[in-house]
Amino acid sequence: MAAEVAALAAGLLRKLEGRRASGEVVERRDAGAAAARVCGDWGVRRALLAGDPLLDDLGVSEALAGAGCEVLRWPDGRGLGWRELLGLEGPQDTCGVTVPLLGVAERGTLLLGTGPGHGRSIDVVSMRHLAVLPAERLRPTLAGALAEAYGGAGLPPSAVSLVSAPSRTSDIEKISTLGAHGSVSMHVLVVT
Amino acid sequence: MSATGPDGPRPVMYPDASAPLAERARDALADPTLGENLRGAAESWAAGRARMGQEHPFAAMRERGREIRTRNVRELPALLDRLEERVRAAGGTVVRVADSAEACRYVIDLARARGASLVAKSKSMATEEIRLNEALEEAGLRVVETDLGEWILQLAGQHPSHIIAPAVHLNREQVRELFAAESGGELPEGREALVAHARRRLREVFAAADIGVSGVNFAIADTGTICVVENEGNARLVTALPRIHVAVMGMERVVADWDEAAHLLQLLPMAAIGDDAAGYVNLLTGPRREGEADGPEELHLMILDGGRSALRGTEFEEVLHCIRCGACLYSCPMWRSVGGQAYGSPYSGPIGAVLTPLLEGMRGERSSELPFLSSLCGACHEACPVGIPLHDLLVRARARVTTPGHRADRRRFRLWSLAWRSPAGYAVSRLAARAGLRLLGGRRGWIRRLPGPGEPWTRERDVPARWPPR
Repeated sequence: MAAEVAALAAGLLRKLEGRRASGEVVERRDAGAAAARVCGDWGVRRALLAGDPLLDDLGVSEALAGAGCEVLRWPDGRGLGWRELLGLEGPQDTCGVTVPLLGVAERGTLLLGTGPGHGRSIDVVSMRHLAVLPAERLRPTLAGALAEAYGGAGLPPSAVSLVSAPSRTSDIEKISTLGAHGSVSMHVLVVT
Repeated sequence: MSATGPDGPRPVMYPDASAPLAERARDALADPTLGENLRGAAESWAAGRARMGQEHPFAAMRERGREIRTRNVRELPALLDRLEERVRAAGGTVVRVADSAEACRYVIDLARARGASLVAKSKSMATEEIRLNEALEEAGLRVVETDLGEWILQLAGQHPSHIIAPAVHLNREQVRELFAAESGGELPEGREALVAHARRRLREVFAAADIGVSGVNFAIADTGTICVVENEGNARLVTALPRIHVAVMGMERVVADWDEAAHLLQLLPMAAIGDDAAGYVNLLTGPRREGEADGPEELHLMILDGGRSALRGTEFEEVLHCIRCGACLYSCPMWRSVGGQAYGSPYSGPIGAVLTPLLEGMRGERSSELPFLSSLCGACHEACPVGIPLHDLLVRARARVTTPGHRADRRRFRLWSLAWRSPAGYAVSRLAARAGLRLLGGRRGWIRRLPGPGEPWTRERDVPARWPPR
C-alpha cells in the first residue's frame, strides 16, 4: 500500500474510532475472513448485502454464508418487506453490508451511493453496519469527494448518504447512546 | 422580495403563550431539576466546542461561513429558481408556500389524495414553526415524531426547548415515566434500555408510515439536492421507507454549490454537537429512480416564506444567515438559566428572541418581551458559526418595540439625552438629581424605595442618596 493511501486510511479510521465506530485495513485475500470474523463477534444471523459484484470478488458473500449467516442480496432482499428487514419479524441480529462510493479521510466519512444494486436504507434498517471500502476510493477532503460524486454528466445520484458514525443519540441527559434508529455498531474494512 | 418591512403583517402565527414572560421565567428559575439538566447540557456542549477549537481553525472557518451565507441570502431569488428547476428535472415536485396555513393545507390535501393515514416525521424546526403536527392531527391523521428527543416531547405534550437537543430539559426518570405511560408496561432501568425500547416502538412506525415528513438543513441549487443532517438514522428511514416524502424547507436554507455545502456541513456539527461530522447526512435528489428498490415514489419539496423574504434588505437581514445549530442557545446565560420552554416559541435563545418577533410581527405581546430576555453580553455572537451579530440585532429589535411602556421609556431617555447635550442642562440636572436624592433619602442617606419606574430597581437593593455613602 502506498504511503499516501496508508495515511488516508489511518486518518479515516482514527476519526471513525473517535465516534465509537471501528475499522481495520485488510488485504484483499483476507477481506472475506475479516467480514466473517466481525459478523461472528456481533452474533449476526442475517446479512443484507449490497448487490455489488465486489462483495463476491472479495469472497465476502461466501465467507458470511460459510459462517452460518443467512445472506440476502439487494434488491432481492427487499422482497421480505420492511417489517422483516427492520427486525420486527424474524431475526433481529442483522447486519447491512455496504460498498461505499468513496471514503473521506479528513472527517472520517463514508459516501454511500444509491442505485438498483445499492439501496439507500441497507445500513439503517440493520442492527449492525459493515462497510467494505476499497482503499483506492479514499479521498482527503469532503469537498473533493462531493465534487467527484456529483461531477458526472446527467442526473446526479438520487441519494447519497454520508455516514460518519453508528446511530447516536444524546437526547437523554445529553449522554451519547448508540443504536437509536440506525446501526448499533459500525465497522469499516479498508481493502488494499 | 416583499415591500413590507419587519413591521408589516406576518403570516406565521404562534399560539400566544398563556402567561407573561416574566412569570414563565420565574417558574423556570424555581425548578431545580430543570436548572440541573440545563447546566449539565451546557457544560457538555462547551467541552465539545472547546475540543473543536483545538482541532480546527474555527475563526477562519467561521469567517468563510459568514461569507457563504451572506452571498446566499443576497442571491436568494436566483438560487431558489435554480433549485426549483433542478429538483423538477430530477422528478421532484416543488411548491412555494407563503404561510403556515398554505403549507399545512398542502400536506393535508396530499395525504387525502393519496389515502394516507400515518405520517412519520424527522426533526424539523420549520414544521414546528408552521405547527404542522397540530394541523395534521386536526385533519384526522396520525403523526409520530421519530427523533428520540422529539418523540419524548410529543409524549409529554410539550414543544422543543432546544434546536438540536429538544428534550434537554428532561432527565432519564422523566423519560422513563413517559415511555411507560405510552407502552402501558413496566420499563427496564437505564439509558440504553430506554433507547432500545424507543427503537423498537418507532420501527413499527417506519414500517407502516405512508408519508415521511422531514426538514431541510441545506439545499444545493446546482444539483437540486436537499440535505438532511442527523445523528440517529431516523431521518434516513423517514426519507427512504414511506412512499411519499415531504421536505419542508425555510426559503433561506439554499446554498449555491457543493463547495459551499461541504464547508457548512462541517461547520454545522462543529457548532451544534462539538464534532466535525454528523453521524448521517442524507443527500436527496428527486424521488426513487427506475430500478431502485427503496426511496419514496414521490418527493415534494415545500419552500416556506413565512415572513422571511420581507427581512431581506432590512437591518435584520442577517438573521437569515442562521444555520440552526443551537450554539447561541447553549452560550446564552439567559437560556442556560430558564431553558427554551420559557420563550414560548419554537425558536428560543438569542436567535429565537430576534427571529420570533420578526416572523410574527413586532406588535404581538411576545415581540415586546422576547428581545429583552438577554443581557447583551455578546456570547451568542461569539458562538455563532456564521458570525451573526445577534447582540446588535437584539438591540435593533428592542428599538422596534412599540408597547406604551416602552414608548414612555424612550421618551424619558430622549429627555435625558436632550438635557445632557448642553453644559447648562447637565449642571441643572445634576443639581436636581442631588436635591431629589437627598429628599428621598432623608436623614438616613439611603433610599430604600424609589417611586414610579425606579421601584423594581430598589426591590432587591438600596440606593445611596449621597456620595460617598455614610
